[in-house]
Amino acid sequence: MNKCALTKAEWADFLSGDLEEERRKTMAEHIDKCPDCRAEAGQVERLLKETAAVKAEIRQAVASVNWEALPATIADRAFAASRKPERALPAARPWGWFAALRMKPALAGLAAGLVVGAAAMYFALKAPGPRPGQDTGYYASGEFLDRAELTMARRNTLDYLEKSQYVLLDVFESAGEGGGTPAPFRSEQARDLLSKKKYLNAQLERFQMAKAKAICDQIEMLFLELAQISDVLPAAELGRIRGFVEERQLLLKINLVKKELQSEI
Amino acid sequence: MKKLTVLIGLFVVLSLGSGLYAQTTPDESLFREAKLLVYDKSWAAALIKLDDLREKFPDSPYAGQALFYKGECLSGLGGRERDALRAYKDYIRLADAKPSLVEESEGSIIDLAFGLYESGDVPAIGDIERRLGHDNKVIRYYAAYKLSLVSDKKAAAKAVPILSRIIETEKDPELLDRARIALLRISPESLKSVEDRKPAPGSPRMLKIRIWDKGSKEPVFSLNIPWALADLALGALDEDDRAELRKKGYDLNKIVNELAKSKESILRIVGDDGSVIEIWIE
Repeated sequence: MNKCALTKAEWADFLSGDLEEERRKTMAEHIDKCPDCRAEAGQVERLLKETAAVKAEIRQAVASVNWEALPATIADRAFAASRKPERALPAARPWGWFAALRMKPALAGLAAGLVVGAAAMYFALKAPGPRPGQDTGYYASGEFLDRAELTMARRNTLDYLEKSQYVLLDVFESAGEGGGTPAPFRSEQARDLLSKKKYLNAQLERFQMAKAKAICDQIEMLFLELAQISDVLPAAELGRIRGFVEERQLLLKINLVKKELQSEI
Repeated sequence: MKKLTVLIGLFVVLSLGSGLYAQTTPDESLFREAKLLVYDKSWAAALIKLDDLREKFPDSPYAGQALFYKGECLSGLGGRERDALRAYKDYIRLADAKPSLVEESEGSIIDLAFGLYESGDVPAIGDIERRLGHDNKVIRYYAAYKLSLVSDKKAAAKAVPILSRIIETEKDPELLDRARIALLRISPESLKSVEDRKPAPGSPRMLKIRIWDKGSKEPVFSLNIPWALADLALGALDEDDRAELRKKGYDLNKIVNELAKSKESILRIVGDDGSVIEIWIE
């Protein structure tokens, strides 16, 4: 036993360079003179080297773990284990698994390191915030919902303009050929577009999409006319509507607003 | 022969005359002029023509429709919402009211009532609530959507049964998205229970996004929404965030679609500035 009053902790601090300069000098001088303390310091040094080796192994093992998949793997194994028939523990050696570790100190160190490392990594990965795995309710901020509605308004306006174009072109085609799609079909389409326009109104106003609102309003007026047609549209009436649309360059305006909306989506 | 020529001439003149009359009677031309003014949003001028039509030709087939367009003008003028409301209600009561214009009038009544309610006329909300039970589903749905936007959450909650029904029974994606967002706004729990009742086989159920600023413990952005709204949600993410991600070579839409396809459950992106984005798909 070392008769000097220096503890192992002090030697550990000395060897790892954690001491103040003055204290370190005193201890270095003492080692030179005292064989007991030299032997003690040598022992502590060997111990620290071994620990460092174990640490490196732990770091290597921790790095090889897929931490993202770990909770799922643990859960799977836990469920699998719960499905397996229970195995009777050997009555004579209930601590048998622990004894096996006792037989291999390095393995025990590695296992302990893994547990500590896993806990540390879990908390490190857990930052900066909690994982909402069990958080199964829906929620979204009002601001986000407004933005979602703006996105929807742009998409739906674009869709409305495209469909309107088809209906108007269909009307003009039949005016040119003196026949074409039966009027009730157009009327149905026009009513469908009118019902969609109701929802757009509120959004276009709310998000101050003035240009899109103006063009959609003009189309709405035309569709109100078309929606009331119960019989095949007379050629003269079709010609009148076509003349009106051409005069106001409605199809050109639709294309321009569509381009703008497409660039925003 | 002369007699015959005169008779034919007279017949042609009469035919042309009656034809012309059939094409443009004074009430019809007045009505057309008014509609052109409505089209151009010249509300005051259109209103004069429409009043003129109803006064001079009270029995005209266009007199009824003129009421509808009068509602449009009064509504467009601003400050005369109650008069507009009355005009639309008068039109709806007409025996020869056209279904398409009735539907439009009902929609306008809902819009006007919403505006009046939000500006302090509390009883006006009754016009929206009564339409939750309308026979026409287009009107019923629109009333529910509009009610979901009122600031009084208790009143808005009355729209929940109709909005839930839309999600359960309708197929139109546009209508479904609107109903989902409306429910998310007023009652996320109701949306959850509706979505849980009709799971889409093979597709994820929920999208979760969290964004943390460097060093912050609480996320600066949190979102849990049904998978059906994922596309819309990604489109609605802050443009700065999206631009930042694009700069780093990430296409968020592509990433989420890949995650969904590969059945991976989580993606974590750490920015150069230390901010963290995590996306879960469940």
